Amino acid sequence: MLKCKINGKEVEVPEGTSIIEAFKLSGQDIAHYCWHPGLSVAGVCRLCMVEIEGQPKLQIACNTQVQDGMVINNNSETVKDVVRWGLDFHLINHPLDCPICDQAGECGLQDQYMQFGKYTPEMAERKVKKRKVVDLGPTVVLDTERCILCSRCVRFTDEVSKTHELGIFNRGDRSEIGTFKDRPLDNKYSLNTVDICPVGALTSKDFRFRQRVWYLKTAESVCPGCSTGCNVNVYYNEEGLWRVRPRYNAEVNGHWMCDEGRDTYKFVNRKARLLEARVGHKDSWQSEAPGSAAKQAGVKLKEVLESEGPESVALVLTGQYTTEEYEAAIGLFQSELNSTLIYHWVNNPESFEDFDGLLLRGDKNPNTKGLLQALEQAGIDRPWQDLLDRLKAGSIKTLVVAGPENQSVFPDQLEKLEMFKEVENLIWLTAGPVEGLEHRAKPTWQIPLKTYIEKAGSFVNHQGLKQSFQVGTIVVSSALTLAEAVTLLAGQELELSAQDQILQQNRKKNFFTETRGAL
Amino acid sequence: MEIKLLTEHYDKPEYRSLEGYKKHNGYKVLAKALKMEPKAIVEEVKASGLRGRGGAGFPTGVKWGFLPNNGEPRYLLCNADEGEPGTFKDRLMMERAPHQLIEGMIISAFAIGSQKSYIYIRGEYDDSIRIVSQALKEAYAEGLLGKNILGSGFDHDMDVYVGAGAYICGEETGMISSLEGKKGQPKLKPPFPAVKGYLGKPTIVNNVETLAAVIPIVDKGAQAYRQHGTEKSAGTKLFSVSGNVQRPGTYEVALGYPLMDLINNECGGVKPGRKLKAVIPGGSSAPVLTAEECARANMDYESLAQLGSMLGSGAVIVIDDSNCMVDLLGVIMHFYHHESCGQCTPCREGTGWLNKIVHSIVSGHGRLQDIDLIVRVSEHMMGRTICALSDAAALPAISFVKKFREEFEFYVREGRSKVKGAAHVEM
Amino acid sequence: MSIVKKPKALSKWYLPGILSGMGFTFKKLVTNLFNPKAMPTLNYPEEHYQYGPRFKGNHVLTVKKDGSLRCTACMLCATNCPADCIKIVASEHEDPTVEKYPISYEIDMLRCVFCGFCEEACPVDAIRMGPEWQTPALNGSNFIYDIQHLAYRPNLKGGIQSRLDDEERHKAGI
Repeated sequence: MLKCKINGKEVEVPEGTSIIEAFKLSGQDIAHYCWHPGLSVAGVCRLCMVEIEGQPKLQIACNTQVQDGMVINNNSETVKDVVRWGLDFHLINHPLDCPICDQAGECGLQDQYMQFGKYTPEMAERKVKKRKVVDLGPTVVLDTERCILCSRCVRFTDEVSKTHELGIFNRGDRSEIGTFKDRPLDNKYSLNTVDICPVGALTSKDFRFRQRVWYLKTAESVCPGCSTGCNVNVYYNEEGLWRVRPRYNAEVNGHWMCDEGRDTYKFVNRKARLLEARVGHKDSWQSEAPGSAAKQAGVKLKEVLESEGPESVALVLTGQYTTEEYEAAIGLFQSELNSTLIYHWVNNPESFEDFDGLLLRGDKNPNTKGLLQALEQAGIDRPWQDLLDRLKAGSIKTLVVAGPENQSVFPDQLEKLEMFKEVENLIWLTAGPVEGLEHRAKPTWQIPLKTYIEKAGSFVNHQGLKQSFQVGTIVVSSALTLAEAVTLLAGQELELSAQDQILQQNRKKNFFTETRGAL
Repeated sequence: MEIKLLTEHYDKPEYRSLEGYKKHNGYKVLAKALKMEPKAIVEEVKASGLRGRGGAGFPTGVKWGFLPNNGEPRYLLCNADEGEPGTFKDRLMMERAPHQLIEGMIISAFAIGSQKSYIYIRGEYDDSIRIVSQALKEAYAEGLLGKNILGSGFDHDMDVYVGAGAYICGEETGMISSLEGKKGQPKLKPPFPAVKGYLGKPTIVNNVETLAAVIPIVDKGAQAYRQHGTEKSAGTKLFSVSGNVQRPGTYEVALGYPLMDLINNECGGVKPGRKLKAVIPGGSSAPVLTAEECARANMDYESLAQLGSMLGSGAVIVIDDSNCMVDLLGVIMHFYHHESCGQCTPCREGTGWLNKIVHSIVSGHGRLQDIDLIVRVSEHMMGRTICALSDAAALPAISFVKKFREEFEFYVREGRSKVKGAAHVEM
Repeated sequence: MSIVKKPKALSKWYLPGILSGMGFTFKKLVTNLFNPKAMPTLNYPEEHYQYGPRFKGNHVLTVKKDGSLRCTACMLCATNCPADCIKIVASEHEDPTVEKYPISYEIDMLRCVFCGFCEEACPVDAIRMGPEWQTPALNGSNFIYDIQHLAYRPNLKGGIQSRLDDEERHKAGI
């Protein structure tokens, strides 16, 4: 371990660390654009200049290794002046696009400008004008004028996604980022370039112009797209979720995530959700509150159980719920309903073990391992064929299905609905509405559930690593979690959380609170 | 007085071919060198004080000593890109005496233990490419290249690589990038090319004249080479003199030769009726000297450095009073703006900015604060980039504005040049 | 430090006070009868008060030379508004030099406090507080003004021109 002093603060770093990494370890700020911890060193922005004692010339921090006993500083007037002019050189040809640029609020140039300035610009000549709104591919839009040629996106497509689609064309201040004529930026990780671009040159077609980032709050979570379980930050406000971005995790996903995972906010927003429970059958649907619908279904379930016996109710689970929910649901099923007919719905056994070498896996459920672990703990191991046989034999009268919240990765839902057509009572627990259920002729209960961002729990990824997350935001407050739904189905009452208990006890009991809504 | 150490036989057209070269002591030094120890050759070059003739002036022997002993294959690259404006000495050597270059390269390659070398010639030099390629063919046919050269057991292969029109490919790491097939953009240093260069292997990059100068050093010894020149700048140099002189051309003189002697004696002085105004002594990257400073200037590294300029590639551009300094600066700034590779921000944006400021002055729209702005922008471009192109653009701008400020102020105030009838180049 | 005025002996007699007050009123009545133009009272609604050029009245969204909305949907006005009354939905424009424009711009007039922060925040002179105000309506009317009303209502006569267009800026090389 080497010792060095950064701005007067002692830091110990391992061998081979560059000065800019030492800055990050010691928690101090240094202005930079082209360096990224997940990419190779380019040293082209020339902003990370530092003063090293004993060396007359300023050095760049990203390409200089720390030596033992180095004394480094970046808050002297010389360094600040160098950074100010370096920033000014970036800005002299940069267009005045802040009002229409998506990056406003999280822009590298804006942040450094507020910190260092050169608040009186001296460039009085014409700026270089380049192409704007260039369509790079199915997901990304390029604005070559805003580009500061840090080459992060080029290094990303060369080193991380290894698809070599981006390059820098022309030279000097006519340089532009671009793709070759017949090769658009079309790979499964293309939106990472939008994340790493420090300015608004690369923007996501999906997020473009939809919201300003200062209106959004962040919540940490785990992506439910596949069994890799990339750590993500979800951006939301009171209207819903707007985008999903990767969070650094050294063991699971590094700095990146795939494009498919970025669509996982779409099934969470209100317009894609089931807001009330739907009870009934074809041509006579009724809307109910989720809790009371679940209680009704529970009553019916108990009736059927009494008349037909414990082998008449079955539970089908997908790998999309948290481990805690599985343990609660399976436990309740066994103890209250005395049934061990619990099945694991696998939607794609052929491509289950797929892995594309970087992050994408074939198993599109975040918690398959968790489900298998919970089933193992409970000692249940029934193959899917068992369910099909019993369905054919007609011994199952009530089927409880915990459907997928991410319906786009379960294209076989309709197929499964066909299989379940003959069951007398179908209780389908789902986050979003299921088209195929509208035409069912037999009694059906569609009960809305909460999605991954509204729950606290943990997912176990393909490696067996358990990742916990807290509640991010509540989008549909009336929806239930799987544990709550199964509790109600089993005939038990829901426990109020400690917070809600206190609220209920201390609520004023008067005319207005008791006769709510009557006015 | 010219000392024709290298250029003795350049006036003979037969010198270009192998037989003609051999008639005048050709390849005898190679035979002598192959019998010496490689280390002895490196020591001889170190003792001679030979400095890089391409512009940087780094001691060649010291550069050769930086090669690591790790068993990796070594490469020798000859920088015949000659992009510096005003320089045409390497072209002369390649067109008149290609075998001199080849012999010098084989000796140098033997000294550093390299099996493969490239001559990177700029794409615009059609004749040089043709002549040097022909000379290489002759050398291979004669057994002077390839396996077991002259029976010494030393193998060496040499190739010509043609550039495609970028000044930045004359920078050593830019040239290495270009040779590797990538965009000719300079690489970060450290690691230096001597440790990690072409294809990641130890590489030595030398100028054409430097490699040719190895021949007289090995032939007559380091002390004989030191007879010419000064203590710190030993030997002779080819100077390409151009501009407003009677007899422009390439002249070989000893280092330390007074500048005014070179202009007045060898080149015949400025045209009658005109007065010397300024001289750029080392290619457009060198700061300009006023006529008064020229009188005190000797053509060696130290004397010019003391006057605030540099010897550089030895391209002397003579300017008399019929030229406008502002227009001239506009031409120089246009060149650097065009040739910047665009990798690092101060150079990419700064060269463009300087070009635009000078051109707004030239077109009559200049402001008085632009003149100080040129100096301030240039000062903040220097020393902050990956390669020295940014410094090469900033140094002439600063020197022109500081030494010829009245011309700039006149241009801004009046909207036209102080020099009546000055040539005006439209860019 | 307060000054306490001791009541004068004369004021203890109520009559002089009453008489001087009435006299003042009478004087004013007579002056106004003979010189109505000197009255400071405005006969509203026939006469309106002339406000200064910086008066903060109803909002106006300016238009460009070709009549399209100047606003680029940057949302600075919505962010700066202390009453949170501006709601904007942005969208992509086909013309790449325009790029972003609002498809929906609503100001809830019942929330607006007419502070003028939106006008201060706008970087492109797209929203101004105009000289007219006093636009009463019945309960249940639409008090949420949209683009049609803010930019193109009849008494704006086709739209107020903004001071700087992006085209001129691009041509000047800024």
